[in-house]
Parts: sequence; C-alpha cells; structure tokens
Amino acid sequence: MAAALGTRGATRRWFAALRGRSQSLAAMAFGFMSRVALQAEKMNHHPEWFNVYNKVSELIFVSIYSSEFCMKLYVDPISYWKDGYNLLDVVIIIIIFIPYSLRKIKGKHYPYLNIADGVQSLRILKLITYSRGIRTLITAMGQTAYTVASVLILFFVLMYIFAILGFCLFGLPEGGDMNNWGNLALAFFTLFSLATVDGWTDLQEQLDARNLILSRSFTIIFILLASFVFLSMFVGVMIIHTEDSIKKFERELMLERRMNLMEEKQVILKRQQEEVSKLMQTQKDLDHKSFTELVEKFKKTLRHTDPMVLDDFGTSLPFIDIYLSTLDNQDATIHKLQELYYEIVHVLSLMLEDLPQKKQSKSSEKVDEK
Amino acid sequence: MATYHPSGHMQLPRADAIRSRLIDTFSLIEHLQGLSQAVPRHTIREILDSSRQKKLMLGDQHQLVRFSIKPRHVERITHAQRLMSTLRVRCSERPPLSLWAGWVLERILSCHLFFFNFYFLLENFIIFLIFLNTVVLMVEIELLESANTQLEPLKLTLEVAAWFILLIFILEILLMWLSSFFLFWKNAWNVFDFVVTVLSLIPEIVVLAGVTSKPVWLQLLRICRVLRSLKLFARFHQVRVIILALVRALKSMTFLLMLLLIFFYIFAVAGVYFFENYTRSTRQDLEYHEFFSDLLNSIVTVFILFTLDHWYALLQDTWKVPEVSRTFSSIYVILWLLLGSIIFRNIIVAMMVTNFQNIRNELNEEMTHLEVQHKADIFKRQIIQRRQNLIPEAQRSSISKLDARLGVTFHETDAIQSHECAAVDKRAERKRRKDASQQGRPSDLTEASQQESKQSATRKGSKASKSRTKSLSKRRKSTSSFSSSSSSFSSCSSVSSSRYCDLIGKQKVSSIFKSMVVAFFVYCKSGFLVLHIFSFSPSRIVFHPCFLRQLDWETHVHQNLPGLMDMDQDERVVWPRDSLFRYFELLEKLQYNLEERKQLQEFAVRALMNFEDK
Repeated sequence: MAAALGTRGATRRWFAALRGRSQSLAAMAFGFMSRVALQAEKMNHHPEWFNVYNKVSELIFVSIYSSEFCMKLYVDPISYWKDGYNLLDVVIIIIIFIPYSLRKIKGKHYPYLNIADGVQSLRILKLITYSRGIRTLITAMGQTAYTVASVLILFFVLMYIFAILGFCLFGLPEGGDMNNWGNLALAFFTLFSLATVDGWTDLQEQLDARNLILSRSFTIIFILLASFVFLSMFVGVMIIHTEDSIKKFERELMLERRMNLMEEKQVILKRQQEEVSKLMQTQKDLDHKSFTELVEKFKKTLRHTDPMVLDDFGTSLPFIDIYLSTLDNQDATIHKLQELYYEIVHVLSLMLEDLPQKKQSKSSEKVDEK
Repeated sequence: MATYHPSGHMQLPRADAIRSRLIDTFSLIEHLQGLSQAVPRHTIREILDSSRQKKLMLGDQHQLVRFSIKPRHVERITHAQRLMSTLRVRCSERPPLSLWAGWVLERILSCHLFFFNFYFLLENFIIFLIFLNTVVLMVEIELLESANTQLEPLKLTLEVAAWFILLIFILEILLMWLSSFFLFWKNAWNVFDFVVTVLSLIPEIVVLAGVTSKPVWLQLLRICRVLRSLKLFARFHQVRVIILALVRALKSMTFLLMLLLIFFYIFAVAGVYFFENYTRSTRQDLEYHEFFSDLLNSIVTVFILFTLDHWYALLQDTWKVPEVSRTFSSIYVILWLLLGSIIFRNIIVAMMVTNFQNIRNELNEEMTHLEVQHKADIFKRQIIQRRQNLIPEAQRSSISKLDARLGVTFHETDAIQSHECAAVDKRAERKRRKDASQQGRPSDLTEASQQESKQSATRKGSKASKSRTKSLSKRRKSTSSFSSSSSSFSSCSSVSSSRYCDLIGKQKVSSIFKSMVVAFFVYCKSGFLVLHIFSFSPSRIVFHPCFLRQLDWETHVHQNLPGLMDMDQDERVVWPRDSLFRYFELLEKLQYNLEERKQLQEFAVRALMNFEDK
C-alpha cells in the first residue's frame, strides 16, 4: 500500500516535471499532426519510405499517448475524470483506435472507413492542452456556450415551423417543387440556404417558374427573420457575453496581482518590525533602554545643515496643511466643548447648592412619618 | 527629549507606522546594528564651487563620493539635445553632420499637416511630393495606351517628375540614416517607409540595367510606383492612430486566430477523406470535382465554405455521386457552417468591438487622469487659501490660544503669502517657497503639539498663557536658526536609503496618514453632535456657520484627498535633517496625545450621560 502510494507520488512528480517541458511535448504533438496531414497526401502515391515513415511514427505516437493515459489514470483514478482536458485525451485515444477496430470488425471494404480515417484529424486538438492562451480563450468561450446553444435552438424551432409550412405549400407532389421541398430534410436545407442568403435567387426562380402562390412573400419574410434578425441578434449576444467574460477575466487578474503585492508588502513590513523589536530586545537586555534612548546617540549626529529631499505624501506640504487645518478645527471644537462643560459644571454646582436644603426637609418629613 | 512615552500600553497602529517611517527614512536599523550608512552631506553645487571643493579635499583625501540621482520628470528629450551634450560633440571644432541632417529633416521635410488646405501643402513638402507622385502616376496610366505624338513632351515631363520624386525620397532616407542610423531601425514607420521605397526601386534598377525583354518587369514597375503612395500612411497622425489601434486589436486576437486555424486544418483534412469517393468518381458533370482532391485544394474549399459562397451547390454536387453518404457530407457541411462562419465570425466581430471599446476607455482614462491632476492642483491651492482664512476665524472663538497663534501666523502668513504669490509652476520659485514656508511649519507643529499635550494633561485654560510665552520664545529661537541655514539649499542630493523599503513604508504610511485625516473628521463630527445636545449658550448661533463650514471642509477634503495623494508627485520638499527627525517624533507623540484626549472626552461624555433626574 505504501509502495503503491510511493509510486503514485513519484509518477505525479514526474508528470509535474514533464508539464514544465511543454515545448518538447508540443513538438511531439506537432509531429503527430503533420503525420496526419501527410496521410492526406496518400492519394498521390508517395514513395515507399514515406509510408514506412508514416507507419513508424504513428506507432510511436500512439504508444506514447496510450501510455500517458494509463499512467495518469494510475496516479489519480477518481479525479482524473473531472478535468475536461483529460476527457479530451480519452476521446482522442478512442478516436485513434476506431479505424483499427472497424477494420477488424467490419472488414476492409466497409464503405464508411474513409469517415473513420477523416476523423483522425481531430488528433490535433491535443495541442490545445499545451497552450495556456488557448485554454483561457476556450474557458471564456465556454461561458458563452449556453447563450449560443439557446439561440441556435430558437433558430432551429423557427426553421422547423417554416419548413413544415414550406413543405405544405410548395412540396406537394402535384405542381410543387419536389427537388427542394420534397421532404423535411430537403426543406431544412433549402431554408438554411435561404437563411445564409447563398444562392437563394436560384431557389426562388424555381418556385417562380411553377407559379406557386405566396412563394415570394414566404421567402422574403423568412429571409428577413432568419438572416437579418436572428443572425444579427446572434452577433449582439456574442458581443455582450464576450465583453462580460473578458472584463471578469481582467478583474480577476488584477485582483490576483494586487493580492500578491499586498502580501509581499506585509511580509516586508513584518520583517522590519521584527528587526526593530529584536534590536530593542537586545538593547533592553543590556542596558534597559527605551527606543528614544537608543536613538539618542544617533540624534546627536544629525546636523541642521544636512538636507534631506523627500517626496512622499506624509512629509509633503499639502499634507501638513491639511493636517494642521483639521487639528485646528478639532481644537476649536474641543475648546467650545470645554466652555460648555464649564457651564454645565457651574449649573450643576448651583443645583447642588439648592439640593441639600430640599433633601434635609425631605428626610425630616420621612423621620416625622416614621 | 522628554520622557513622555507610553511604552506600549496603548497600541496605536498610526504611531507604529510613523515610527517605522522614521526608521526607514533614517535607516536606523543599519545604524543601530553598527553599519552606518553614508549620509549625504554635500550637494553638487558645493563640489563645483572651488572654495568649498578645496575645503572638502583638504578634509579627507580618501573620501568616497557617491552620487545619488533622482529621476526628474522632464519633457521629452530629443535626440539632437542628447547629441549636443555628449562630450565628443562638445569638444570637437565643427558640429557633426548628423546634427545638420536632423535640422534639415525637422525644419523642411517633416512638419505635420493639420489642415487639408492647398497652402499648407506647400509647407509640408514631402506630403506634397507624395500627392504629386500619385497624380503623376494616374496621368501616366491614362496616357499609356495613346499613341498621340503630341503628348510625347508631356510623357517625358511625367517621367522626369517621377524620377525626381523618387530621388527626393531616397535623399530623405539617406538624411535619416545620417542623423542616427540605429534609431532609424527602431521606429517601425521608418522601416515601413524604407521597405516601400526599396520595393519601388528594384524594378527601376532592373529596367535601367537593360533587362527590357520581359514585360513582367514593366508591370511590376508600375505596381511598385503605386506602392509609393503607401508612404502617406506614415505621415498623418490620425492614420497612425487608427493603424496602431488595429494592430493592437489584432494582437489580442492571436489565440482566436490560432484556434480558427486549427479548425481549418481539422476540416480540411477530414474533407479530403470524407469526399474521397467524390474525387475518385468518373462522372463528367461534376462542377466542383477538384475541390477536395488534395490538401491544398481542400483548404481553399474550406475557406470558400467559410465565406458561405455556393455551399448548397457544392453539397448538391457531391450528392450526385452515389457512393458519397449523404448524411456524413451534409453533417460535415452544416457543422462547418455553424461552427466556422456563424459562430467564429461573430466571435471575431465581438472581440473587435470589445477591443475598440477598451482602447477608447484607455484613452478616456488618460483624459480623466489629467483632469484629476488638475483638480488636485486646484485643491492644493484651496488648502493654502483656507489656512489663510481659517486663522482669523479661530481668532473669534478662542482668544487664549490665539495670541500665541497670532505671533506665529504673522510669520506664517508671510510665508503663506509668498507661498501663494509664487504659485507659478517654476521649480526654482517653488523651492524658494518651500524654504520660506519651511520656517513656519515645524515651529507651528512644535507649538501645536506642545499645546495638545498641555491641554490633555490639564483641563484649565490658565496654562495656555504659560505655553504661549514658552512657545513664543521657542518660536523666536527656532525661526532664527531656520532662517540662517535653510536659505542656502538646493535639492540636488537625495536620501540614500534603499528605495524598496522606502516605497513600501511610504505607501503604508501615506495610507495611514490618509486614514488619520479621515478619522479626525469623524471625531469632529462627534464633537459637533455632543455640542448640539448640550448646547445651552446662545452663542450657538455664532458657532453654526463655523460648523457648517467645517462640514463642507470635511466633505471637500474627503472628495479631493485621493486625487491629491495620487497626484504626480514631482514636487520635493527639502527638510533639514534634525527637523525631519523631530517632525517624526513629534507626530508620533501627537498621536498618543490625541488618543488620550479622545479617551478623556469619551469619559466626560459617559459621565454626563449617567445623569438622571432624581
């Protein structure tokens, strides 16, 4: 058990060291990526050594990545799954192994093999983990994901409504445009083409050629809604959220910096105070002196003709002006208070003189009662 | 010094801060540990003065001289000024050529254009030349194809003009090199200028060398002549600002563009694989057959899809081939459209907007900073005026203190008036002001603090007269000593304590000072409240204006104090060393005294509150 923990700690430390040398790993990732790019050139029948190079490099990289995955899992089996970038690593490893498994399971002539090969290009996403700037960017973008998703869902709902409408209006088998509005999927594509205003005049021409009613108004209304309103709203929403996230990010950065600075200042000040108290302690042990007596000797060396030039606020003239003005105000207040106190005391003393007579009469009454 | 030292039974952070400031300023720690720092004893003026210099040299032959220079807040020093103060230039007989080149550039060639007015164009020679170049080019292009022989002289003049302008541009660059070779390359606008000029030079040289056979070079020649108009970008200040803003915005978007490139790559490579069957198909009617054939074409196609151009036509074309699975191809295209052109493009727009807003906010911040400085300046003058006015005010309220104060205020008002009149921002006058008012300050402070301590000890006003006479005599002594010595100083030397601890201590102490000033306002306010509750005397009415002005003073200082503290402190105060030490000591004692007074006051209030009607 202790040995296992020890090895875990060792691997953890080794990973920390590895992280520091991120550039070498980034170079490795780059090599990986370029290998996939070269793979795309496979169409053009490169020489034999090229294919050998491809295969060998792929083997090396796949082995490195899977061993990294296994070791990371070994170090921290539970909290491994909490980090998003680790999940990305897992997904990429799964993607890497798809072509092999497909070839094994379905045989060599499965029509979707080229899809599996194409998905290999996602391996480059591993580069993102090594760059801090992109990570922060993705974190910032991730906060806008919720808004983006909701806008897209709204857009989809709008398209759905108009697709059904368009299908019923234009996609009926007799006299309708079957090519573009024949079924729901085609209608969606057509509407998307209208929304991105690409080639929509051709589509409109075909509708016009069949003299379908309401086609023009339908198209124009949809283009206004989708392209002008929705896509611009998209831009606006993204602008607001990007601003917010950037501001928050900068504020956090500033706060962090300020905290660090404050801590450093505190440390230095504390050190200075400790030194002074230590000095005083040593001196006290020797001759029982106080601080003023300590510096008595130093004061004697100060000459009046020595200039000292200071530019801090505490010894500047405006501060002295303000301070003395406030002290003057305070003194005035206190003086008035004093006068009032004298008056109070005077009145009270007068009252006190009156009191004893009354008290004597009262006490005499009580005695009489008793 | 007196032994009035509370020795720790009252922990005041302010007093501690003042003491630590004292220790910092005089570097007492090193002194008490036995390492005495070198104390600045002389100024540069004394060393340059020959008589004093002799005395210095006679004193100790092996003295070490250490110069500590404080950076001064001066305006921009031009390269020519720096050059003029180098030893090499001053000792040579003839001025160097670079100075003349700089002068030529400054005067003749590069004034700034402020109004787009023809008369002003003549003053800004180079800008005029650039415009002329553009016009010449336009006319030349128009006349290029015409075979009209009457226009031959015109063509010749145009050619000559173009060559002449080019020679002047080259001359300008040579002059800039002559003036300072290394600084030329540090400025990015100059490098841009140079590149453009050289680019437009190359085809001309090639043509001159006789390689007239290839028409390609002639075309290049004409293109590069147009490039010379780009030099205009470097000349107008507003254009520079816009370009700088654009460059900054782009810089902050580097990671976004990198991410975009990554996505480009992903979709390009995936596209090659997904449309493999489409590329290999042998149908003849495919319009976009080559679009996914290899990596380069695929990248171009992905870019075409990014700009949303003919994407549906491309998709329908791929559907013509039966082996291409419709689902995957449509997923590919739709996913890329959503991700790339809709989401990413709008993110880029959002980033640009945010960046431009940030740049505008920064420019605004600079403006507000200048405004705050201006306000702080005004506030400073108000303080001085208030000090002048408040003192006759205090006359009315407390007479016993005032006689003492009057004596001081005469001296002080002289100082303050000289303080006021010399409110021109010239350094020498400011120094004189400081020196003059220096005489008033510490004496006032000593007197005030002495009064404070006396007042808190006893609560009768009879002792004020005693303190008054004492302070008067002390004032006379101190002022005489001050006037003799403080008039002969200039602030060339500076403290040689470590800057680091200085800064830290300074900031903490200044914040403590600020809180001190603020706390006293609260105290004043509480005093006002107490007075309001127990106001018997009819003289309350007389007091009111005083108190109202006190409130105004308080809020006024509240608002303006941060600005004052953040002001660019380019004023420095010369303190005589022992006065500075005494100032810190007295300030610390003052804190203790004030604290004690506050406690006594609270005690009195509590006693009064405990009265009951029986």
